[in-house]
Amino acid sequence: MSYIQIRNIYKVYPPDVLALEGVNFSLEKGEIHSIIGENGAGKSTLMKILYGMVPPSSGEIFINSQEQKITNPNVAIKLGIGMVHQEFMLVPSFKVYENVVLGMEKTKNFGFLDKEKILNELEEITKKFSLAVDLQATTSNLSVSAQQKVEILKLLYRKVDTLIFDEPTAVLTPQETQQLFKEIKNIRDTGKTIVFISHKLEEVLEISDIITVMRRGKVISTLENDNLSKGELAKMMVGKAVMLTVKKVPKESGKEVFKCENLTAVSNKTKINLLSNINIVIRSGEIVGLAGVEGNGQYEIVQTIIGEIYPHQGKILIEDQNITGLPIRKRRRLISYIPADRKRYGLALNAALTENLSMTHHLGEKLSKFKYIMDWKKAKKFAKDLIKQYNILSRSINDVPKSLSGGNQQKLIVAREFSLDAPFLLLDQPSRGLDVGSIEYVHNVILEMREKGKGILMISADLDELLSMCDRLYVVRKGKIVAELDPKIHSKEEVGEYMLGAKS
Amino acid sequence: MKSLNKILTGFIGIALSFLAAAVLIKLQGNSPIDAYRALFNYGLASWFSLSSTLNNATPLILTGMAAAIAFSSNVVNLGEPGQLIVGALTAALLGYYLPLPGVLGIFVILIISGIVGGLYGGLAGVLKKYYKMDEFITTLMLNFIADYLTLYLATYPFLDENSYVPATHMIKREFFLPTINGINISFFIAIFMVFVSFFVVNHLKKGYEWRMMGHNYDFSKIGGCKNEENLIWVMFYTGFLSGLAGALLILGGTQHRFIKGIGANYGWDGVMLAIVGGNGVIETSVFAIFFGFLKAGGIGMEFEVSIPSEFTMVLQAIIVLLVVATRSTISYYSDKIKASLKAKRVVKSSE
Repeated sequence: MSYIQIRNIYKVYPPDVLALEGVNFSLEKGEIHSIIGENGAGKSTLMKILYGMVPPSSGEIFINSQEQKITNPNVAIKLGIGMVHQEFMLVPSFKVYENVVLGMEKTKNFGFLDKEKILNELEEITKKFSLAVDLQATTSNLSVSAQQKVEILKLLYRKVDTLIFDEPTAVLTPQETQQLFKEIKNIRDTGKTIVFISHKLEEVLEISDIITVMRRGKVISTLENDNLSKGELAKMMVGKAVMLTVKKVPKESGKEVFKCENLTAVSNKTKINLLSNINIVIRSGEIVGLAGVEGNGQYEIVQTIIGEIYPHQGKILIEDQNITGLPIRKRRRLISYIPADRKRYGLALNAALTENLSMTHHLGEKLSKFKYIMDWKKAKKFAKDLIKQYNILSRSINDVPKSLSGGNQQKLIVAREFSLDAPFLLLDQPSRGLDVGSIEYVHNVILEMREKGKGILMISADLDELLSMCDRLYVVRKGKIVAELDPKIHSKEEVGEYMLGAKS
Repeated sequence: MKSLNKILTGFIGIALSFLAAAVLIKLQGNSPIDAYRALFNYGLASWFSLSSTLNNATPLILTGMAAAIAFSSNVVNLGEPGQLIVGALTAALLGYYLPLPGVLGIFVILIISGIVGGLYGGLAGVLKKYYKMDEFITTLMLNFIADYLTLYLATYPFLDENSYVPATHMIKREFFLPTINGINISFFIAIFMVFVSFFVVNHLKKGYEWRMMGHNYDFSKIGGCKNEENLIWVMFYTGFLSGLAGALLILGGTQHRFIKGIGANYGWDGVMLAIVGGNGVIETSVFAIFFGFLKAGGIGMEFEVSIPSEFTMVLQAIIVLLVVATRSTISYYSDKIKASLKAKRVVKSSE
């Protein structure tokens, strides 16, 4: 019998969301077992049940042929199961080793930390698993990938046998991802079991021994990673064939739609240049990408364009109108905007779909009568049409976005913004956190907008996405544009080198 | 459907509060049955008691609505007491000095008092927009200023020398709001404002922007709404409602002059009502009438069973606590029960 066996698990989230439906799943020692599936397929829920974070509605878990009730994560850790979450759980001001031992400190007399003993133990572990972590560094100074290593170290220190990674590569650059994979394989080779949750097909194919595909709360199949193709996996995930490559027709770009000249922004607090002399030109019918390691100025560029912050120097032109000093309200006539944080900026999660779809449109005359009064009849019709056109799965227009899946939430924003008829589209991570099917959909609508002759600026952490979608690519590093590249000529590796500053 | 739900769960909470309060009455050595009978007799049983319930509810409807609209726009207006009292003083002064005839004068007094209340509220909005001062604190502090400023004005410059307590002159008789079958016109004015507010919040573009600001500040800002300006408007409108409540107390009440303590607890009761009513305009108004019933009936309990009228306030507080508690408890457990039923059903159907 398998090392860990999960039998017939059902989970209904209150009030009536069926997340898992009769799931059977097993893990062997010394394997890397990936779980893939679209958002809402139940992969995270399944692992959270194994880790004791979520109680199952029914079903059993066996570990070494013994039935176990895992009521909370402490029980899971005792049973040798640990999880690396998407959001790290670290105290920023603590030293790395302090974070690692937090909760199970070894002490000397009078409760003082036995630092020497702890450090010795930790060094042994890092050597054994060849994890490169500076144990004495302060956690807040570490990069995201280094913090992830601390999380892994935490689990190894607690001597777990099974490590669950919940979408660990979402926050990493391609190079960091490779490094992580090496470490994961090292850990496996010592006989531990790895569960790797992801919706990125290439990664899963690269790293797994066994792959379990989930769809809509059910396990579709469990396969050995042997001669599998991306297409097959995608088909199992989505339930129908998916276009994995973008079909882009070549198009002559037209007149200048967007232009920013010498954009410079200085942090009010630290007086450091957040942006220095950013020059971007976008023509109509052109998708221009902005690549860069997160936190190198993309956020500030978006903020200055949308009007959340004003630049200290330089100007922004859309269709030859200078919008540099305009308030957000006036800009919105010219800009369709898909924010990266859709729950914070894109939606009112508890307001009706009609109200969500009317935002920004309500500024014009389209949805109003007597100028100051909302015409809800028109707004409802407008909402119904959009929901139909963009195929947003919802019960009615009185539904709230909170009850929709992530993909449908994003479609809601896309529907609202793309129907604004603005000449310029600002897309910040338009496919982040979406599943294969929704990504395909969003990409196609973006390409439609390109066909219509909009000027499009696209920011993404996913280099493959940028290279396949964009006509031109700017690389931003430390608040400066360091390169302007052509995706037809330059490879992913080259872009990565510019991003990291290895090439300039 | 949603607002019916809020009202229903509200009344379940109220029923539980009455049970809890019955224990307190019993502990004090009185009969809860006699007490509640008196409450009912004085608050609902006859036309006279019903009209006194409605008259008592009038200011509560307005202050409750003010708090509800502010809270649902994510604006923490805790300044209703101050805005009410400023409106009341304005009405008292205009009622004595304004050289206009009857109906026209009443109209002008009500509008101007409301506007003064609105400006007093709007002040907090302006402070927020230009100095980033939190309206939570400014509105609270402005209450004190309103309290003592009006008291000073009523004690010194505008004092009626014939009065034994600090009070202004009585307003002109022609400005007294008439009473129809025991119900003062001011009740109908309040109800009229319920309709106006419902329209403002649900049908005006501004109201839409207010509500979206209440749902998600960043969303409405990025969507192109002028949040900071809207905040001032919310403060003005809700201040207007509170100021109007104050003016109606002068023109329609029993004193017809500004007198220390005239604002009673109406402002704070309004804040409580908004909580009980889940920040809905209609729901809050329904509960305001219920609180009016408690006030009217509370007098009955005092007369007949000699339970102090302060007990009404205890009862109100219990109601707020239990209504909020029952509402979340009911939704939490009904969701859980629904989930486990569905799980059972799914498991069964797959076997």
